[in-house]
Amino acid sequence: MELRYLFKKTQSASGGTETPREDQGPQTPQGLFHKCTKCGETIFSEELKRNLFVCPQCGNYFRMYAGTRIDSILDDGSFEEWNSDLQESNPLGTPGYEDKLARLRDKTSLDEAVVTGKGLVNGHPTCIGVMDCRFMMASMGSVVGEKITRMFERATEDKMPVIIFTASGGARMQEGIISLMQMAKTSAAIKKHSDAGLLYVTVLTDPTTGGVTASFAMLGDIILAEPGALIGFAGPRVIEQTIGQKLPEGFQRAEFLRDHGFVDDIVTRTDMKDYLTDILKFHENKGKFKSEKVEKIKLPKSNTKLTPWDKVMISRGKDRPVAEDYIKQLFPDFLEFHGDRAVKDDKAVMGGIATFAGKTVTVIAESKGHDTKENIERNFGMPSPDGYRKALRLMRQAEKFGRPVICFVDTPGAYCGLEAEERGQGEAIARNLYEMSSLKVPVLSVIISEAGSGGALAVAVSDEVWMLENAIYAILSPEGYASILWKDSKRASEAAAEMKLTADDMKDNKIIDKIIAEPENLCENNMEVVVAQLRDGISKFIGDNEGFDGEELAKKRYERYRRY
Amino acid sequence: MIKKVLIANRGEIAVRIIRACREMGIETVAVCSEADRNALHAMLADQTICIGPAASAESYLNINRIISATMTSGADAIHPGFGFLSEDARFARICERCNITFIGPTSSMIAASGNKAQAKKTMMDAGVPTIPGSAEAARTVDDGLRLADIATYPVMIKAALGGGGKGMRVARSRDVFTQAFLTAQQEAKNAFGDGSMYIEHYVEHPKHIEVQILADKYGNVVHLGERDCSIQRNHQKLVEETPCEALSEEKRKAICEAAVKAAKAVNYENAGTVEFLLEPSGNFYFMEMNTRIQVEHPITEWVTGIDLIKEQIKIASGEKLGFTQDDIQIKGHSIEVRINAEDAEHKFRPCPGKIELAYLPGGQGVRIDSAVYSGLEIPPFYDSMLAKLSVWAPTREEAIKKAQSALGEVIITGIKTNIDYQYGIITSPEFVSGNTDIDFIDKFSRK
Repeated sequence: MELRYLFKKTQSASGGTETPREDQGPQTPQGLFHKCTKCGETIFSEELKRNLFVCPQCGNYFRMYAGTRIDSILDDGSFEEWNSDLQESNPLGTPGYEDKLARLRDKTSLDEAVVTGKGLVNGHPTCIGVMDCRFMMASMGSVVGEKITRMFERATEDKMPVIIFTASGGARMQEGIISLMQMAKTSAAIKKHSDAGLLYVTVLTDPTTGGVTASFAMLGDIILAEPGALIGFAGPRVIEQTIGQKLPEGFQRAEFLRDHGFVDDIVTRTDMKDYLTDILKFHENKGKFKSEKVEKIKLPKSNTKLTPWDKVMISRGKDRPVAEDYIKQLFPDFLEFHGDRAVKDDKAVMGGIATFAGKTVTVIAESKGHDTKENIERNFGMPSPDGYRKALRLMRQAEKFGRPVICFVDTPGAYCGLEAEERGQGEAIARNLYEMSSLKVPVLSVIISEAGSGGALAVAVSDEVWMLENAIYAILSPEGYASILWKDSKRASEAAAEMKLTADDMKDNKIIDKIIAEPENLCENNMEVVVAQLRDGISKFIGDNEGFDGEELAKKRYERYRRY
Repeated sequence: MIKKVLIANRGEIAVRIIRACREMGIETVAVCSEADRNALHAMLADQTICIGPAASAESYLNINRIISATMTSGADAIHPGFGFLSEDARFARICERCNITFIGPTSSMIAASGNKAQAKKTMMDAGVPTIPGSAEAARTVDDGLRLADIATYPVMIKAALGGGGKGMRVARSRDVFTQAFLTAQQEAKNAFGDGSMYIEHYVEHPKHIEVQILADKYGNVVHLGERDCSIQRNHQKLVEETPCEALSEEKRKAICEAAVKAAKAVNYENAGTVEFLLEPSGNFYFMEMNTRIQVEHPITEWVTGIDLIKEQIKIASGEKLGFTQDDIQIKGHSIEVRINAEDAEHKFRPCPGKIELAYLPGGQGVRIDSAVYSGLEIPPFYDSMLAKLSVWAPTREEAIKKAQSALGEVIITGIKTNIDYQYGIITSPEFVSGNTDIDFIDKFSRK
């Protein structure tokens, strides 16, 4: 006999559970829990809210209400809403449309699918627009288009940046062709805002599709996305039905768009406010030049015994610092931006913005990896056309915002491959030379290791070009030179001497302006002395160019390259 | 008054709570995992609901299932016991939102006590003595080094959201600080998902003294004397006693009054324990507040005659304390010995398995709190504590004799237990002399 049947149980005065429960008894209030649509876990609502509507179990991003979003981004009490009373129209006379809008207004307490206004992000003023999917899937009708357009017009007038959190099913069917015109109207307003040199940041959230993607969502100077957000023009179901194929996993997700060059960065909800704060800060132009403090540098003695071929080998050495190492040391607040807005994000080129000597600068770097794994990811520092186009995109951005461009050059050469040719490797390099020659901002290029041919020149048409002592700069590799001229690539060391590719040779030929001294066996552990010279030099470069005249710079640059 | 209590726990504490409820005419609902269908608490309760698989995360730690069981059983209150969800502020908060009486403090009090840096600051402000060190939490080694200099070496590094000895390290000098900090922080991140570390002066050779508190919803707070819990292995207590021999009457008054002050500083309600470190010099420092019933509560019940679980239920029901500080008289001496299913000869590894025979003693002044019986299978998924033996006698000498005699009678066969190890402790001259501190087990094990 089991114990459970032998124990005497409680003699309850209440008569057990049959007694009808008093009103104040335990009950689960409505909305106490949320169920995660992805993992199915029941989540305590207060916890979900604290976690910014990200499932604590599986990391799934819940769609956020506009009001909650604004609370999570703007400083308390700083939001001032604009144009919440625009009159809705029913241009095509769609039956039942007005009733539907009225019902939604009641249910959501929103007047339309977007909330616009201005506020402060950690004290930095900005205009902000936030779309809310609860309102007809945040489709763009005339009121949505009008609110966004008015926000841009006012931002242009008041010289303010704009941040928009997008989410939309696309055009609003009920408003037909008038809805389509909102795409043109908003884009035109953004163009005016941009022409005034003002910043526009979009944050793409789940789902951003159709006419919104094909207008204001994709026009940000900086385009961010939330992890896993669905972003596309045509919806996945429509595409599948049209082409009769199953779409691959992750297709049209934020990560897919970043890898294909359309999203600058994917930012988690927890980091979003700080990230936007940095972007706003970097674009406020309030910074005054403040010379970087550099202790007196004790220059290493140069090794005069090295042959040109020795330098070729040193420049290719596996322990030599790569661009990323210099960026970490010189630009600790570097924000990396991805993609060429056309095909892909080429990791052989890194680019982004940072502050230096009190100023915002654009940093672009041809990037090798530290080891084989990283090198495969970075294609051994050989950029594809997409890499050059990313560089050019960021240079144009620098020009728009009037900030100096600092380039690090380190490539054996432009990537030689099928896709590179298909996408126009030659055109991409040519375009960079063409555009860089007249860029209206100061440009500095530093050759840190290998500068191979057109692939290097595509980021080195600059006001000043510097070179590390043991770096090399050449029309092609010594191996290639030997095999073309002497049909024997083994004579590369001989070729190296003949090619005049060392920093000293470059200085003599007035190709470069400055040589940065190196310690013996330069590596991450002893790079401080090189970093110090760069810090000092870049600081002077920025100081000398303070209050630069863009036309003058372009003219001088023209003359510099005219003389060869 | 509460009519039906769901006990969100297992083992001897669940049994202890069921007994208290039964005596009060309150119905009981036990919850159990699939591994605990034959556990004593599951058989003893008026109603039992199996809430999931053996893993704690799927059963005793699963808030949703426990709330569902409460709703379906019609219970109007939950007693969380100790461990599991007892100090989970979110659980208490959900109970509050669902109008379920949580037998314990409010969720905000639990949250406030759970963050040790914040709790220490509150105590400093209230004038309760705290260990020298900064109230600020360190996230980086550099921060840590700076705070360690303020606290003065040796320093203790511990997780801001920690407990149970995880994420704790002592650094005796600046040279070894970095290594200790990084190790502790990694542990903290693994265990609690947070790497905020708290750094304070390390008090050497202290006694662990804790004061039992009862507070009702109307601001009445009393203490029920102290407990000396210095005999610990890896921060797990083994033997506890009350009163503490090392305290003079004057010092006892000071430490107990500090505990009351601490409870008042956070507007505490229900049963709680304020932990202090007592230095050989006689200085004592607030460590933390435990916002739950403690394992070792029976020794306080012995010397005060107050049933702490019943008091918890009465307070949660909204009753006023039925006594004042003056009514509480500490009488005699009590000692508790914990009996665990672990192999003392092999690093105290847990030893689950089937109990062939359990013979537990009795007699005047002997109390057993246990959930074992002959034939019970001890599952490997939970804490290894099997039983608590506690004794009472008019003097410490007599209490020790009684504890030795009673423990000598305990027979549990089929699995390995720490009974012999514990017998060794309570018969050792060091224990008998009363000259114990928290390094006792280190010295005892080395012998």
